[in-house]
Amino acid sequence: MRNLLKVARWEIKRNLKNRSFLIGLFITPAILFGFMLLGNVFDDSDHREDPTVVYVHDKLGIFDHIRKTVDQHQLNWKMKETDIREAEVETKLKSEERTAYIFLDDRALEEGLIPVYTSEEMEPAFMQQIHVLEFPIQTMKMEQLGLSAEEQAAMSQKVHFKESTAAEEEGTAMGGDPLKRALPGGFAGILLLSIVFSGMYIFQSASQEKKDKIAEIILSSVTPGELMQGKILGYFVLGILQAVTILGFAVPMANWKLDIPILEYLLVPEILLYVLIAVLGYLLFSALYVGVGASMADITSTNNFQGMVMMLPFLPFIFISPVIRDPSGLIAQIGTFIPFTSPGVLLLRLSILEEWPWIEIFIALAVLSVSIYIFMKLAGKIFKTGILMYGKNATPKEIWRWIRT
Amino acid sequence: MEPILRVSHLSKTFKDKKVIDDISFEVRKDEIMAILGPNGAGKSTTIRNIMGIMVPDEGSVSFLNDRNIPRHKIGYLPEERGLYKNVKVMDILLYLADLKDVPRKKAKSRALDYLRKFDLVGMENVSVEELSKGMGQKVQFIAAILHEPELLILDEPFSGLDPVSQELFKDEIRQLAADGTGILLSSHQMNLVEEICDRLFLIHRGQKVIDGSMDDVKRRYANFKCTIRGKNEIHQLKELPDVQRVDEKDDNTFILYLSKHVHISRWLRQFPEHVDIDEMSVDRISLHEIFIDIATREQHLDQEEGVTYA
Repeated sequence: MRNLLKVARWEIKRNLKNRSFLIGLFITPAILFGFMLLGNVFDDSDHREDPTVVYVHDKLGIFDHIRKTVDQHQLNWKMKETDIREAEVETKLKSEERTAYIFLDDRALEEGLIPVYTSEEMEPAFMQQIHVLEFPIQTMKMEQLGLSAEEQAAMSQKVHFKESTAAEEEGTAMGGDPLKRALPGGFAGILLLSIVFSGMYIFQSASQEKKDKIAEIILSSVTPGELMQGKILGYFVLGILQAVTILGFAVPMANWKLDIPILEYLLVPEILLYVLIAVLGYLLFSALYVGVGASMADITSTNNFQGMVMMLPFLPFIFISPVIRDPSGLIAQIGTFIPFTSPGVLLLRLSILEEWPWIEIFIALAVLSVSIYIFMKLAGKIFKTGILMYGKNATPKEIWRWIRT
Repeated sequence: MEPILRVSHLSKTFKDKKVIDDISFEVRKDEIMAILGPNGAGKSTTIRNIMGIMVPDEGSVSFLNDRNIPRHKIGYLPEERGLYKNVKVMDILLYLADLKDVPRKKAKSRALDYLRKFDLVGMENVSVEELSKGMGQKVQFIAAILHEPELLILDEPFSGLDPVSQELFKDEIRQLAADGTGILLSSHQMNLVEEICDRLFLIHRGQKVIDGSMDDVKRRYANFKCTIRGKNEIHQLKELPDVQRVDEKDDNTFILYLSKHVHISRWLRQFPEHVDIDEMSVDRISLHEIFIDIATREQHLDQEEGVTYA
């Protein structure tokens, strides 16, 4: 056990000091979100080119106050003061685009009415955006009514209270919110993908060990089992690190760009099952990779058999569209029970399905666990002999012989 | 003296071929024991069986009478060896020492000492891929002895080394033995082994051919030979007294292998006049020649000595 941890620690340290690993670690999420940002930039450019011009006829003397509020909300407004009379506005607006006139006078305080005139062509969100002005005007109204600071605070608190009840109602209505299941599912998908990708490093590491001819030196201190398990553990940690790095980009991005509080969606009990499935998937694929890596002379010399085994983790992709079309259908169920597709298909189904098929989940977990046990045993046998066959690519016949002994 | 390593009746078969057959020997503290043999004789297989990297079909290996081989007390330099390429020299040394349970601080100071000793000062932060082949060999050697093993197993330690590095390795191996380490080394370079080993075990086609102390082996097998340059007929030379065998090196050069109990000065006095001699030399057969002889024509030694090889 101690040697296992030593090997794992070494693999982690070695990769964290390796330039290409570090580049990969940050480039993967950077590329992912780079594209997202790029889309946003194009998207934004439409809005940003033309700000909405908002003329304020301010008789209450709160223009500065309002401008601050607008800045705080980062509204794409260009604000100007004006002395124009209300009667002239309509004729003026006929010749203008994306322009609004707001009249702040006693009517706002007495009747709660603020006349707003907009040009024919106007951003659709403008009438919602304008509600941010409510708060400064309300504040002023309260001051006028002679409320003390505490009373004002109480009033604003009341407003907050109302808002929160409104949000709660929304929450219960959110039973059909697709994000509730999809986000944790997507998270587990990222987790699975990144640990499977780092699992591919295992394969590289095992075949590199052969190429560098260091395996025999290492095996004079540890058993082949410890070396193999140490590698699997080490790359598991590196995979988690990759997932955390991606999340480190994703969570702030989503909060900023999409205004989705990702963490709230993620910190739910269901996530435990998702993570369990992802971890089981990793263990299965890492057993495959470590076995194949040990049977190969080097990365360039894969034969057809090894190539096929290498592609197994990508098998779930062919299930994606049938599963999305019918998450409880026969194909989805078949995919759930085949060990190599089980993690991917199960994650996809659980993210879509409203009601979880618990019996199928348990059978799938059992199938996965048994397969992991069998493949770890097989990988152990292949690894033990294969890792010392320097410069030789094992044939399926040889591999079969190692497995039988 | 109590043997530190005892190998008894080791056998291993690959497919249908017996790669080693009934091999038994001991390695004692303070001594250098050599396993010799041509390529494919079974040296590395024997060593891999000792290290537990292979499991023997028959026979046993024990370390201080214990069947469980304590890996951290053994240093091992395999024949096929290398190091991780993209790591620093010190990092790999510390990792290998850590696997042998050496405390980090001690490992570091010992590593620096050895790097200095092997002319690798300042190389600790260099990446392994930047080292020359010889430097890499030195780092591997350091890794094998960093944890002060009680038994050091070196499989072809001199292969690929330049003469200067060979000397360095020889000195260090001698020093380790003098300090009490039991050393088992394999080689096919007889001249190097002849200089440093105390006992030897010659193996051919998986079987024991000769074993014993160096002096003993020389006494038993290193007979005299006489090299003559001159125009002679091979059958004439064969008829000379005490000549067991004659090899024709080229047209004019013949090597006469003499019998074990020949008295050289008496033999020379009786030398017939009709033999044409341009040049003549008499010396003992070297370990190298014994080895070549065994590897190529083991039947000759067999006939001469009347020894039956197992």
